[in-house]
Amino acid sequence: MCVGLPARIVGIDEDGTALVDASGAKRRVSAALLEDLEPGDYVMVHAGAAIARITDEDSHETEQLMDQLMIEI
Amino acid sequence: MEKQTKSAREILQDYRGKKIRIMEVCGTHTHEIFRLGIRGLLSPDIQLISGPGCPVCVTPVDFIDEAVYLALEKGVTICTFGDLVRVPGTKMSLAGARARGAAVKVVYSPMDAVDYAAGHPDTQVCFLSVGFETTTPSSCLAVQKAKQEGLQNFTILTANKTMPSAYEAMKDAADFYLYPGHVHAITGTKDCLDMLDKGVSGVVAGFTGKEILTALAVGVAKAQKGEPFFVNCYPRVVTEKGSPAAQKLVAEMMEPCDARWRGIGVLKDSGVKLRPQWGDYDARVKFDIKGIESRENPACRCGDVLQGKCSPSDCRVFGKGCTPEHPVGACMVSGEGACSAFYLYGGII
Ligand code: SF4
Repeated sequence: MCVGLPARIVGIDEDGTALVDASGAKRRVSAALLEDLEPGDYVMVHAGAAIARITDEDSHETEQLMDQLMIEI
Repeated sequence: MEKQTKSAREILQDYRGKKIRIMEVCGTHTHEIFRLGIRGLLSPDIQLISGPGCPVCVTPVDFIDEAVYLALEKGVTICTFGDLVRVPGTKMSLAGARARGAAVKVVYSPMDAVDYAAGHPDTQVCFLSVGFETTTPSSCLAVQKAKQEGLQNFTILTANKTMPSAYEAMKDAADFYLYPGHVHAITGTKDCLDMLDKGVSGVVAGFTGKEILTALAVGVAKAQKGEPFFVNCYPRVVTEKGSPAAQKLVAEMMEPCDARWRGIGVLKDSGVKLRPQWGDYDARVKFDIKGIESRENPACRCGDVLQGKCSPSDCRVFGKGCTPEHPVGACMVSGEGACSAFYLYGGII
């Protein structure tokens, strides 16, 4: 039940919900927990709500962390 | 200058030395680590412990008993995440109650339960609100929505928990935590830094294979230095502040309470429940649930498993009396549970 789904915002409605595309599946989720969402943003969806913005690719993120680690050790 | 290129995988494979124990707090990490075969890659001197971070696994038996009572004695329609349906209660699970005529619906989000209540105005509908900081805001949004729509037939039964008390309770079981990324997407990294101040180490990890391996490698490299550390290895989702809107919503609608963790016991202020002004939406208040006597199955060692004191295969009913088809304890039910993951992926530890 705790699994988060990455999704792209397709549209925002005035009632505080957003239509998202999660790997091709369209779902309506609450957008109330994040400010200033815009179509095209990537978010993490959990239990029917967008809980966080996704700001980068995992590859880039992990490369940076490893580079940092290599400098330190 | 030539760049050093030791990969995360090499760091984890090549490590030799004092045993490093890592507790993966989140059930999704447990599941992904098994699914991706990460345990098989690790040096024998690195031990992974599956911690208490699957909400289904830590939901106590009395919560299931309360839900069964609401369904069978009060005729309430229970809306729940699917994982909870087969968790054993003292006498029966919700699946057992359903076989006796109870209405139990599986929903994907608390909002779906509100929609169900709106479509069935003559039925009392209760959503089973389990989960950590990640899920609690959604339950609050659902209650808010029910109020906005003027629904009088929607309640939630809360067993929402907060992680910091669990971090505190388990801190001696491991050398560092693999913190649950999506809890900290909401709460930010403050709780992890508070733990660091107490000398407890950890890394926040994401959920792809690369992210899990990198976070483990960063932790193993840091642990060798012997100093307490904290690294956010999931910065693309987890920020320092988390989600202020979610934190504010929960603080406004809910208050801390003591909570029982299956197999671990009651941890002070480790849960949240609706504030009194939301009593109309609190199933315990509305239906006056009292006096249910609950008892966990004495054979089940979920509590020890969750605390890293034993491995699932040390439980004498593991794979015999207790299987995913016929779970004895909660850890065997959810795909995120340690016993279920051990069972499904062959018990390689
Ligand atoms: S194998 Fe079953 S009974 Fe044993 S600890 Fe795990 S869930 Fe409990």
